[in-house]
Amino acid sequence: MQLIRAIIRPTKTNEVITELLAAGFPAVTKMEVYGRGKQKGIIVGNVQYDEIPKEMLMIVCDDENTDDIVKIIIRTARTGAGNFGDGKIFVSPVSEAYTVSNGKAEL
Amino acid sequence: MKEIIAIIRANKVNATKRILMENRFPAFTCRSCVGRGKKNVDTELVAALMAAGELPQNIIGEHFTEASRLIAKRFFTLITSDELADKAVRLIIEANQTGNPGDGKIFVCPIEESYRVRDGEAADEIF
Repeated sequence: MQLIRAIIRPTKTNEVITELLAAGFPAVTKMEVYGRGKQKGIIVGNVQYDEIPKEMLMIVCDDENTDDIVKIIIRTARTGAGNFGDGKIFVSPVSEAYTVSNGKAEL
Repeated sequence: MKEIIAIIRANKVNATKRILMENRFPAFTCRSCVGRGKKNVDTELVAALMAAGELPQNIIGEHFTEASRLIAKRFFTLITSDELADKAVRLIIEANQTGNPGDGKIFVCPIEESYRVRDGEAADEIF
């Protein structure tokens, strides 16, 4: 299993999770996060804003679905030809998953 | 080391904290999140129910009618040693299980290194 963490623009979140649902990946967790990237935030006039609001989507999926989900997120969360600040996606391994309601070790 | 990520019901956080404390897992991080699980909300069914006046026409009814609406949960993480991870998972399941869908999920991920900020120590026995 893999944990996909996607940090994307808040305005794109609805579009991404609707698209994931349509592709058959309903499960998702969303959190509000603040951060900056390689561009060191945004500089407006003399003020540097380096805590830019983003939303983080967390999806745990089987190994074979990882590529599909990453592609869906990239396709949907991209603005235009790909601007700075569209976000990042990180994939990390998950060794076990449990469902609380029945205690079973399955996704 | 293992990171245990549990996405649980908001009203079960206190019970989880208590049972973990009683079993010597004092350290944890908790924050709020929203999300959804495997089950789809049948939007057409809910819309029909609302039209028939069987669902409250308020914010709760509205909550279920849009495909993109998500359910509020708590995101609970703790780091344990490899051998204690299983025990912590069992305790979280014990505290949170009501038998209904929506009780949550627990994910166990490997952690390579951990450091204590106070003295910069990188040791397994931090936890």
